[in-house]
Amino acid sequence: MTLVLALVLVPLLAGLVLLCLRADLPRRLVVVAVTGAVCVGCVALACLPALNLGELPVSRHAVNLGMMAVEAVMGLYILYVGVRARHFLIVALMLAQAGLMGWFEWTAGPEASPAPALFVDKFSIVMALINGIVGGGICLYAVGYMREYHTEAHRDVPDRRPMFFALLFVFMGAMFGLVFADELPWLFFFWEVTTLCSFLLIGYTQTPEARKNALLALVMNLSGGLAFALAIVWFYHNTHQLGLQALIHSGHAAALLPAALLCFAGITKAAQCPFSSWLLGAMVAPTPVSALLHSSTMVKAGVYLVLRLAPVVTGTSVGLMVALVGGVTFLIGSLAAITTPEAKRVLAHSTIANLGLVVLCGGIGTYEAVWAGVLLIIFHAVAKCLLFLCVGVVEHKLHSRNIEDMSGLIVYMPHVAVMMLIGMAGMSLAPFGMLISKWAVLRAVVDAYPMLSVFIVFGSAATLFFWVKWMGKLVEVVAPRQRVIKEISLDESVALYGLSVVTFLACLFFPLFSKLFIEPYVAGVYGHTGSLGQGNMLIMVIMMAVVMLFPLSFLSRGRGVKVVDPYLGGANIQGSPGFTGSGGASETVTLHNYYMGGVLNEAWLSRVAVAGGALMLAAMLVFAFI
Amino acid sequence: MRGLKQSPWILHYDASSCNGCDIETLACLTPIFDVERLGVLNTGNPKHADIFLVTGAVNEQSKAVIQNLYRQLPEPKVVVAVGACASSGGIFRECYNIFGGVDIVVPVDVYVPGCAARPEAIIDGVVKGLAVMEEKHAILAAVRDGLDKIIYARAEKAGALPIHAIRKVAGQTEAVLHGDDNFPALQQTLEELQKEFDKKYFFKAEVNGKVIGSVSAWLDGETVRVDGLAVHPYFEGAGVAGRLLAECEAAFRGVKRFETFIGNKSERQLKVLEEAGYKNFKTEVFTPKITWIHLRKELK
Amino acid sequence: MSPWLRLIVYLVAAPVVGGVLSGWDRRVSARMQSRRGPPILQPFYDVLKLWQKQNLANHPSQNYYVLFFFLLVVFTGALFFAGSDLLLVIFALTTASIFFVLGAYKASSPYSFIGAERELIQIMAYEPMVLLTAIGMYMVTKTFYIGGIANHGGLLVLALPGVFLGFVFALEIKFRKSPFDLSSSHHAHQELVRGITTEFSGRTLALIEVAHWYETVFLLGWVYLFFASSPVLGVVMALGVYVFVVLVDNVFARLKWQAALGSAWAVTAVLGFGNIVVLSLQR
Repeated sequence: MTLVLALVLVPLLAGLVLLCLRADLPRRLVVVAVTGAVCVGCVALACLPALNLGELPVSRHAVNLGMMAVEAVMGLYILYVGVRARHFLIVALMLAQAGLMGWFEWTAGPEASPAPALFVDKFSIVMALINGIVGGGICLYAVGYMREYHTEAHRDVPDRRPMFFALLFVFMGAMFGLVFADELPWLFFFWEVTTLCSFLLIGYTQTPEARKNALLALVMNLSGGLAFALAIVWFYHNTHQLGLQALIHSGHAAALLPAALLCFAGITKAAQCPFSSWLLGAMVAPTPVSALLHSSTMVKAGVYLVLRLAPVVTGTSVGLMVALVGGVTFLIGSLAAITTPEAKRVLAHSTIANLGLVVLCGGIGTYEAVWAGVLLIIFHAVAKCLLFLCVGVVEHKLHSRNIEDMSGLIVYMPHVAVMMLIGMAGMSLAPFGMLISKWAVLRAVVDAYPMLSVFIVFGSAATLFFWVKWMGKLVEVVAPRQRVIKEISLDESVALYGLSVVTFLACLFFPLFSKLFIEPYVAGVYGHTGSLGQGNMLIMVIMMAVVMLFPLSFLSRGRGVKVVDPYLGGANIQGSPGFTGSGGASETVTLHNYYMGGVLNEAWLSRVAVAGGALMLAAMLVFAFI
Repeated sequence: MRGLKQSPWILHYDASSCNGCDIETLACLTPIFDVERLGVLNTGNPKHADIFLVTGAVNEQSKAVIQNLYRQLPEPKVVVAVGACASSGGIFRECYNIFGGVDIVVPVDVYVPGCAARPEAIIDGVVKGLAVMEEKHAILAAVRDGLDKIIYARAEKAGALPIHAIRKVAGQTEAVLHGDDNFPALQQTLEELQKEFDKKYFFKAEVNGKVIGSVSAWLDGETVRVDGLAVHPYFEGAGVAGRLLAECEAAFRGVKRFETFIGNKSERQLKVLEEAGYKNFKTEVFTPKITWIHLRKELK
Repeated sequence: MSPWLRLIVYLVAAPVVGGVLSGWDRRVSARMQSRRGPPILQPFYDVLKLWQKQNLANHPSQNYYVLFFFLLVVFTGALFFAGSDLLLVIFALTTASIFFVLGAYKASSPYSFIGAERELIQIMAYEPMVLLTAIGMYMVTKTFYIGGIANHGGLLVLALPGVFLGFVFALEIKFRKSPFDLSSSHHAHQELVRGITTEFSGRTLALIEVAHWYETVFLLGWVYLFFASSPVLGVVMALGVYVFVVLVDNVFARLKWQAALGSAWAVTAVLGFGNIVVLSLQR
């Protein structure tokens, strides 16, 4: 109990401390200490045999009152933001939400609900581990990154680092609260904290674009919050219960509508169609924020909720609609990622797509699907975080996020390039993480709704295209460039190397991880569990071994091979990557990837996504009412 | 060995042909002649090709291209000059823009006569080229397992011819590196070289009776002047040059100072000489593109 | 035959069968153009010759990618003939292709770069159909294991006519035959020279050739699966499909990548997915 509370409270308190620290060194010390403590805490939590959650050390009523006070302050702040920006949708959503919650508190009164307010099972532990380790890595990285951000890359942005770090840790603490909370109003409280934190972090630079995108994120997440509030009120008034577990176990009839509303909230937070634009807009924030939103917190909160509710919606038309939203998002996200050369945008599209896959799993809701979904969450969090952090480093050195500018990165920033390749291999290459998960998803889908497989087969083909062309850009070497002397600062390297190792280990030991955490959870909910067969596991290990031998082949570098210039129609200029063009002019070779501009169009795709997603969400709510 | 003669893949390049020979070359692929029955493929890619088939005389435009393509063909490779122009410059020989036949730029193994060359003749040339390719393959194999069988010895005046050839071969590489063919080794005639034998000592490296490298040296007062260091490209990096330099030193026992010079872009030679203990002490402009680097080694 | 025995037979016999098929392809193509054509064993001569040639590379590491491409293709086929999970086989095949593509990227020449890019487009074009084939087979036989699929009682093709046609279409892309020889072609004088293989020579090129032989046998084995309940018909149909592919190669001009991708996806959506829809409605 204490450990769980500590995991929630320590980051929150650290956030408050960091708000007061202006100097660099103490801030660094605090960040390192807290991150270390949180990581240790998570691992300890994972290693403890069985958790017996006792009563809260303080009166629940007091905590509820405290939360209500904080919530009221947040609500007022959001109202202020809405009024100042003349964004009346925000005001309306906030007022509706406040009205609902106020009415609920008024009518529900201070009666004690029997369920414990906190709840820990294997799934929450998995989420906590992701949040602690990946999120911790991001905070560490942020120390070095933000120093460089303000001293070198973006001098024009006002230095508000104390607030920045405070928000990072509050975010992390709220995420811990979110995965451990069982009582829905508590969950809602942490949910709203993450919404507000993401709003503030996205708007960090205070440029007009950042403000606009921050407001967009706020309005979309507030609509999810409204659905959440509705779900709480509805559920309480029908069953007089408030626990998430109670909701999951209360059967279809009573739980379907609140579950649908909660899924709606989850879908907004996980940036699924039609709400995907807020996550793309969030790219204006500094890289650690993007990494945090994409990998360990925020969007993961959304899919966490959807996966939690999977047993309720499975087999219903609500579940089918949720799965459809996920499927459409996966397909469109993957296709959209092909069209853009901007690294962070590609990563964002890919995040949206992969979360779509998780939502698809949640909507299908069979035991196989949930197993696959949890696996996806893990691999995606680790690999995607690594990729974001690497792109951040490259951006500072090259002053560009364009993938085309990363040509030959393997030569002039070999460490970062190798780490990026590890991340991308983790995202796209069999037998590593994501592909195993995709395989599991495909099996689950075929067993439940074979027709939905169409989204996966087309989507995964597109996924392959954009990852491999990026990998190719990293390994190709046209003109040798000067190697960057100091690729990464100390804090960044701790985070990057750490995450690379974690990605690697996650791929290597995922069967163990699945056995220890995912299978017990799935078995606990469904009675039986999914896994890979023994034989397949063996094949996977052989394949993994083969692929991992690949770096070894570089040891025998160039034996018996003669190095010559590339074929350029015989017009090569000796000793340079150029050729003699017409009129004897010397030209240099440039290689440019395909972005399929004539076939795919990002704007058009996003319009389809919005229309399709909105339609399906509406259908979902209608089905839930019937 | 099987295979080598049964699958000649061709790279066809038109240096400045009137297209007569090109049409005849492509005619070989048609149903009437169908060279694919002999395994011949027209690859259009030097890296896959075995036979470099050139039509037309060499002009300003095509000179560098032929050199580039030749370098991009994997060994063993054969050059077939198709038609009168490719063989000798033909009727364009005296034109202001024509250098001459293909052998001006790269070593040619088979000359196919005719204007235009008949398809039968071209096919015959390719088949003849295959025999050359087999021979080259044998040499290469000998190289691979014959590196320890290299013999180092003094050369006599009677053996000037292969030394003249090896100097030309090595000089080609230098000329390409510098973009200038004013190297003494390339300009020298056989008679001039034979005359040098009266004054200089010549050393050679041999594999199976074939000269693959040579160097010359003579005593000029207190200093031994070393020049004409040449190694066949197949044997580059095998330590031949280093051994030849050591032979020179052994022959002039008691002399304290050795001097030589190389072109400014001959990095490979520079490395070998530096490893042998030579140090740069002055440079001298020879032509706009070639600057001599003079190197000296002092023995204790 | 036990899976292990099948595996060993595959490893030994596939390059022989693949090579002969490839030689036969060249001969038949020549006859279609009223030429005599090379001997049946010509591909073996080619590979033997390439094995004796010098290995040129722009970057020495490009060859390792091809080595792993080869290993993974062989591994894929081995998985297939050992009767393992069909989806796993597909993923292994994809990984193999990715190594090939990355090798061509590594070579960093304009021709191999565009070849690699187009190869990726081709993978993107055929991958959905190949996955749908596996799904269709699963829906009929209730197993992803190739052993189980092969032992299924009825003719799969009767339940999966659309998927079968779609799969043959995908094979056309997979074999890199016209009209889908975008990334690399066996015919000379193309705008891309040799596309994805342009910068590979000597033993590396030989490895690519042998990998293609293995791939051919494995893909024809997959065609056989559609007729597995009647082995004779299966072999005949596998060869028949190969002849068809060669015929199409000779009568079609090359498509642009847009058309290749569009037509492949359209065929997948109509024939492949349509078949899946029918099957799932029947359940």
